[in-house]
Amino acid sequence: MTQKRLLALVGAVAIFAAACGGSTATTAPTLAPGTTPGPETQAPPDGGLAAEQILRVDIAGEPPTLDPNKAQDSVSLTVLRALHRPLVYVSPDLEVVPALAESWEVSDDAQTLTFTIREGAMYSNGDPIVAGDLVYSWRRLVDPRTAAPYSYVMTEVAGSEALFEMDPEALPADAEIDAALEGLGVAAPDDRTFVVTLNTPATYFLSAMTLWVGVPIQEEWITSEGATEAANYVSSGPFQLDTWNHGSQIILTPNPNWYGEVKPTLTEIHMSMSPEPAQAMAAYEAGEIDMLLPVPSEDIERVKADPVLSAEYAEEPALSITYYNYNNGLNPQGTGPSDRCAEPADCPTSNKNFRIALTQAIDKESFKAVTFANTGIVAGTMVMPGIPGAIEDYEPYPYDPEAAQASMDLALQELGIASAADIRPLRFGFNTGSGHEPRVAFLAQAWLDTFGIETDQIGSEFGVFLNQRTAGEYDISRNGWGADYPHANNQIAGLFTCGGGNNDQQYCNPEMDALITEAASEPDQDRQRELYEQAGRIIADDAASLFLRWGASSQLVKPYVGGLTTTPMDSQVPGEHFYETIQMLERE
Amino acid sequence: MISYVARRVLWIIPVLFAVSIITFTLMHSVPGGPWDREKKLPAAVQSRLNAQYGLDQPLYAQYINWASAFVTGDLGPSYRYTDRRVNDIVADGLPTTVHLGVMAFLLAILVGIPLGILAALGHNKWPDYLSTSVSIIGISTPSFVLGILLIVFFSVQLGWFPTGQWRGPEYWVLPTVALAGFPIAVIARYTRASMLEVTRKDYVRTAHSKGIKNESVVSRHMIRNALIPVVTILGPTLAFLVTGSFIIERIFNIPGVGQFYINSIYTRDYSLLMAMTMLYAFAVAFLNVVVDVLYAYIDPRIRYS
Repeated sequence: MTQKRLLALVGAVAIFAAACGGSTATTAPTLAPGTTPGPETQAPPDGGLAAEQILRVDIAGEPPTLDPNKAQDSVSLTVLRALHRPLVYVSPDLEVVPALAESWEVSDDAQTLTFTIREGAMYSNGDPIVAGDLVYSWRRLVDPRTAAPYSYVMTEVAGSEALFEMDPEALPADAEIDAALEGLGVAAPDDRTFVVTLNTPATYFLSAMTLWVGVPIQEEWITSEGATEAANYVSSGPFQLDTWNHGSQIILTPNPNWYGEVKPTLTEIHMSMSPEPAQAMAAYEAGEIDMLLPVPSEDIERVKADPVLSAEYAEEPALSITYYNYNNGLNPQGTGPSDRCAEPADCPTSNKNFRIALTQAIDKESFKAVTFANTGIVAGTMVMPGIPGAIEDYEPYPYDPEAAQASMDLALQELGIASAADIRPLRFGFNTGSGHEPRVAFLAQAWLDTFGIETDQIGSEFGVFLNQRTAGEYDISRNGWGADYPHANNQIAGLFTCGGGNNDQQYCNPEMDALITEAASEPDQDRQRELYEQAGRIIADDAASLFLRWGASSQLVKPYVGGLTTTPMDSQVPGEHFYETIQMLERE
Repeated sequence: MISYVARRVLWIIPVLFAVSIITFTLMHSVPGGPWDREKKLPAAVQSRLNAQYGLDQPLYAQYINWASAFVTGDLGPSYRYTDRRVNDIVADGLPTTVHLGVMAFLLAILVGIPLGILAALGHNKWPDYLSTSVSIIGISTPSFVLGILLIVFFSVQLGWFPTGQWRGPEYWVLPTVALAGFPIAVIARYTRASMLEVTRKDYVRTAHSKGIKNESVVSRHMIRNALIPVVTILGPTLAFLVTGSFIIERIFNIPGVGQFYINSIYTRDYSLLMAMTMLYAFAVAFLNVVVDVLYAYIDPRIRYS
């Protein structure tokens, strides 16, 4: 082993320990991504299949829950994707394709969707999968008593308003909730027909239906004691839960009743739960696991230089983005400045030219090369390449120190500040222990060099940081987003709309909001894409945030793993959306 | 003696009470809550979860709820591992954590004490230098660095041991060594200092002058007396090992309770955090009592009344 590698490993752990760890739960899942999302399917080579069909992977922690309605984090999803399939699913190139539903019809007003369930589809326990189980599952998802984190995906279903409007702290009587659930726009006229009625022609609803939350669930199962333990688990996907040793290991075996055309070749999937990325990396190198995603960024250079590892290494596009918030200083109603930014001179990032100047001072290529081991794609706007509505080459404010200076002069004039040196140090917030320090340093240094503007770099523990960020306490703050489903709506609505739940940059532009509202109910796909592109341009033109880099999944796969179907949405295991196609090949 | 032990054990109760109040207050005064995510949960869902878990009540009421469940042995539901009760999480992980801690403790004693004795007997000669070097390295190398070095050399390079997990004896070796590194050094230093001190005692000189064989002087007069101060640090050491394995458990991917402790702090998993803190507070308090009692047993000059 080289000394460099040793240092890298020790350094990695030292950073962890200094910050007292905790990166796993905190960073945005690098849900995947993708510019050219093509299926990465390897044909089984001539060597043929291995006698032992056991795949060993690491999922980076104990899944917080395996209840599909309640799951929200990437670790749980990595397991759930093997255990369940919704009515419709994403294809490797991010199209919506049939899964449990063999077909569906959309009414002329685009408000009624009628799904036909495959004939003979069964759960792992042998019971038939019936439309009534979908009705139950969807009602349970939106039921305020469930308090499901992803209940919001049901917002477009008719009748969900009554449930969302209930006072969460003082719920009405059970009978009233049950009555409201009865009024939800889901129905099962017969066992193979599932009908959804929407309250708006929501054009992205099919995309949202590919999420894990809407899978069929048997009431009898999920309400039983210890339902999510291995002994009781009922799955509807290609695999079933054989063993769940909490905090240690999950073992999946093929679901004998799986209805899909592609039956698993694997006889077992062993999932370990290493919370420490350096350990998972070592486990891969020692041959204890067969795949690794993501490769720790401090190891990437070494991996690329290693003759063996470099051949097993790949970078796939990922549907995620790294960006930094500017505090736009607007109130959620869009009527004027927020309280904190009532005096523009005290809140320089509320000035558009100031934000433009900061953006023009950043060499994004160099940022990516230095702080992300040159992985990913430089970003000029929010929506990730591969999603309809993305504008890949749009960069209104490219790196240009002279233009930055000019923008800064304009901004200072508008703010009534004599020189950049008179600006108070900008409050620059980030969460510690997740590797953001070099990135924060890079940006702060660029602004100091270009304008002489000082920053207070405020590193906080994740929970503290999030609360400060939401409260608008920072001028600039770290941010990131991973796509839940590949639709532009998921990357803009709520993030950049006035008063949106994740609008931590206090941005508000009614013109942009109008475009998003229009796009949401625009059935024509081309027109819809155009609207999202327009919205994306407005956000970029306003310099609402500092968009830096669309993500990449850096992954290692042993040469004897075949049949991998990767997608830009994979987050913990390469090919996690299609475990059933994976095959173990004979080792050379 | 019995009344002394009883009194000391009873004193643990107010200690735990104080620890629980302080921890509860501190953890709720830290900004953030169990539902914080980079992707925020809808406000209504957060309020609903708060209502379900009683987080909408005033702090004192929350404390009373927690304490009254705690005394009946109910540690509450986990806020993060939503399918599970804290009791199950602790019951699953604790045996592994104790197993690891006790093995490291035994290793520390079996290596640390002989190393210290060796150093003292070869004072200012090569055994002393060797032992002192080992001690200095052991004290100054954090366990996570040692752990990673062990993984890199013995797992990745040599392939002798697995890089992690806890499934059998071959899995136990590296974490135990990594965890024992620091206490080995501490125990060796204490033993060495203590041995050097008794070397100059009158009773040792007397023993030598009576013509007793050197081995007997060392084993019967020196070591026995020299170990008394060493015993005092064994209690805190055992507590350190049973409680101090957070990072080792994380680095070696060991399914103990330590890694849940760290996680519970980051995810504001209040019930799990309280349970873990109480557990560790009890372990430290109880082991201190055990040592004090042992102390009286080993050194007849000490009497409690």
